[in-house]
Amino acid sequence: MSPILIDARALSHRYGTVLALDRFTVSIAPGITGIVGANGAGKSTFIRILLGLVAPSAGEVRVLGHDVRLARASICALVGYMPEHDCLPPDMSGIEFITFMGRLSGLPAHAARERSADVLRHVGLFEERYRPIGSYSTGMAQRVKLAQALVHDPRVLILDEPTNGLDPAGREEMLALIRRTGQEFGMSVLLSSHLLGELARICDRIVQMDGGRLVRADSMDELTGETGDLLVDVDGDVAQFAATLQACVGPWANVTVQRHQVQVRPLAEASFDGIADAVRDAAVELDVGLLRMERSRARLDDLFRDVVDESGVAS
Amino acid sequence: MNTSTIHDLGYRRYDGARDGWTGAWSALFRQGFRSMFGLGRPLRAKGIPLFVIVMALLPCLATVAAAAASNGQVPIPYGLLIGSQLLLIVLFTAAQVPEVLCRDRQHRVLPLLLTRALSPRQYALARLTAVWVAVWMVATAPLLVLYVGELSIATDPAARFAEMGGRLWPVLLCGTMSAWVIGSVSAMMAGLTARRGYASVLVAGFFLAMAAVAMGAEDLAALPDTVGEFLDPLRALRTMAMLLFGETTRAMELNPPPSVLVFVLGFLGIGALTSLVAMHRLEQVDA
Repeated sequence: MSPILIDARALSHRYGTVLALDRFTVSIAPGITGIVGANGAGKSTFIRILLGLVAPSAGEVRVLGHDVRLARASICALVGYMPEHDCLPPDMSGIEFITFMGRLSGLPAHAARERSADVLRHVGLFEERYRPIGSYSTGMAQRVKLAQALVHDPRVLILDEPTNGLDPAGREEMLALIRRTGQEFGMSVLLSSHLLGELARICDRIVQMDGGRLVRADSMDELTGETGDLLVDVDGDVAQFAATLQACVGPWANVTVQRHQVQVRPLAEASFDGIADAVRDAAVELDVGLLRMERSRARLDDLFRDVVDESGVAS
Repeated sequence: MNTSTIHDLGYRRYDGARDGWTGAWSALFRQGFRSMFGLGRPLRAKGIPLFVIVMALLPCLATVAAAAASNGQVPIPYGLLIGSQLLLIVLFTAAQVPEVLCRDRQHRVLPLLLTRALSPRQYALARLTAVWVAVWMVATAPLLVLYVGELSIATDPAARFAEMGGRLWPVLLCGTMSAWVIGSVSAMMAGLTARRGYASVLVAGFFLAMAAVAMGAEDLAALPDTVGEFLDPLRALRTMAMLLFGETTRAMELNPPPSVLVFVLGFLGIGALTSLVAMHRLEQVDA
C-alpha cells in the first residue's frame, strides 16, 4: 500500500468563471489530517474530486496510489464519506439505512447486515437502530452519518464538518469517536472543519487552503510549536511592569502587553536566561508577585487569522 | 445463575468478498422495486399500490367468473378491459414513481449514494429498471389473469390452450408497451423535480393534458383521428390493445387506425426518447 494517503499535483477546477482550485499540490500522510480554510477556499471542491463526484479540470490526484479518474471503483471501496449536509432518509430505520449503504458499497447481504449492527454499536446507536431516522436528534443523525461512512470498512474516512449542529457535549462525543476511529480502527481521517480548536485537539497535521491554493501543510507540532516569545503573568500593574522590564532588557527584546499578560519577544542573539533574569529583577524592583512565566506556543487561530489578514490586504 | 458474558470484540475489519457494482446495482434495484409497492415503507405508502392492484384485478376476476357461468359463451374483452385500466396504471405511476425517483434528491441522499460502487448512469438505470419492472407487472397481471382464467374455465384446457396459445404474445406485448410508455413518460416527468408532490402532479397532469390536447385537436382544429391517436398515449395504447385482440368499436370501423406495427414503433420511439430524458435528469448530481 502507498505510504502516501493522498497525493494531489497541480490540481485545478473551474466552475464557469470561478477558479475553485488553482494548481493545488499537496501530499497527505496517513493519520488524522485537518483541512482548514475560509468559505470558498476550495475544501469542498477538493473533497468532491477525491470522491469522484467532480472531475478536475487539470492536474491529477491519487488516493492510496489510485488515480481518482481511472480507478474510481477501487477508491469507492477504500473511502468512507460523511457529508456536512443532511443526507438521511427520514422514514428508514438506522439499521435499514446502514445495511443499504453497505450493500451499495459492494458488501454481500449477510456481511452488510452484520457490519451495520457492528458499526451502529461502535457509534453508540445500537439500542436505537430500529427507530426511523426522522425521529433521531441531531447528534444521533450525525452518528448515523458516521456509521454509513464506516460500514464498508474503508481505509480513509473523509469527514466534512462532522460536529456541525451539535451541542458542546455532542461535539465532545463526536470528537472522541473520530479520535478513536483514527487511532483504534486503523483508519486515516481527513477532516474538514471551521472549528480550529477541535482540529488542534485531534489532528496530527493540518492542511491550510486559501483561494484554491495550498497555504501550508505541516504537522500539528510544527504549527503549534514554541514561538520563542515569553509570556509573563504578574500580580500587579501590568503596564508598569512591562515598562520596567523593557528598561531591564534594553535592546535585547521587545516587551508588549497582551491583554492581561506581558509578552517578551527576544531579538536576535538574546539569551533566554538573560531575559528570565531581567523578568525576575523587574518583579523585585516593583515588588510584584510573579505568577507564571512560560514559552509562548503558536495557535491555529493565529495562523488562520494571518492568512485572512493577508488576503484582506491583497484585495 | 446467569453465566453469559457480553464480550466487546472491538472494531473488526472486513476482509471478505465484495460484490462490486453488480451487488450495489441489484441492491438499488431491489430497494426501488420494493418502494414501487410500498414494501418496507410505512403502511400509508402501501395504500395506492394495493388499491390499484385490487381495482385492476377485480374486473378481470369478475369477467372470468361471468365467462365461467356462461360456459364460455360470454367472450372475454381483453382490449376493452386493459384499455379501461390504463388510468389505474397512471394513478399507480403518479403515486409511486416519484417515491423511487425523487426521494434520493429530496433528502439529498444521492451524492452520498454516488460515493459508493455506482456511477451516475448505473444509478439511473437501476432506478428506471425498478420502475419499468414494477409497472410491467401491474400492467400485465390483469391480462395474465384473463388469459389463465380463460384457460382454466375451459372444459378441455389442453385443447383450449392449443386453440388460443397464440394469444399469449398479444398479452405480453400489450403489457410491455403499456409499461414502457407509461413508465418512461412518468419517469421523465418525475425527473423534472425533486419534490414528490410536484412530481405526482406532473405525471398525472401530463397524461390528462395530452388527452385534452388530442380531443381539442380533433374537435376544434378538425385534425384527423390519427393525430389524436399519437397525441394521447393512453388512447393509442387502448387502440393498439383492441387491435391486438381483434376487437373493434364503431369509431374504429369508420376511421381505421394505423396498424399494430406503427403503434409499436411509435411507442418504442416515445419510450426511448422519454427514457433518455429521464436518464439525463437522474444522472445530474447536485453534489
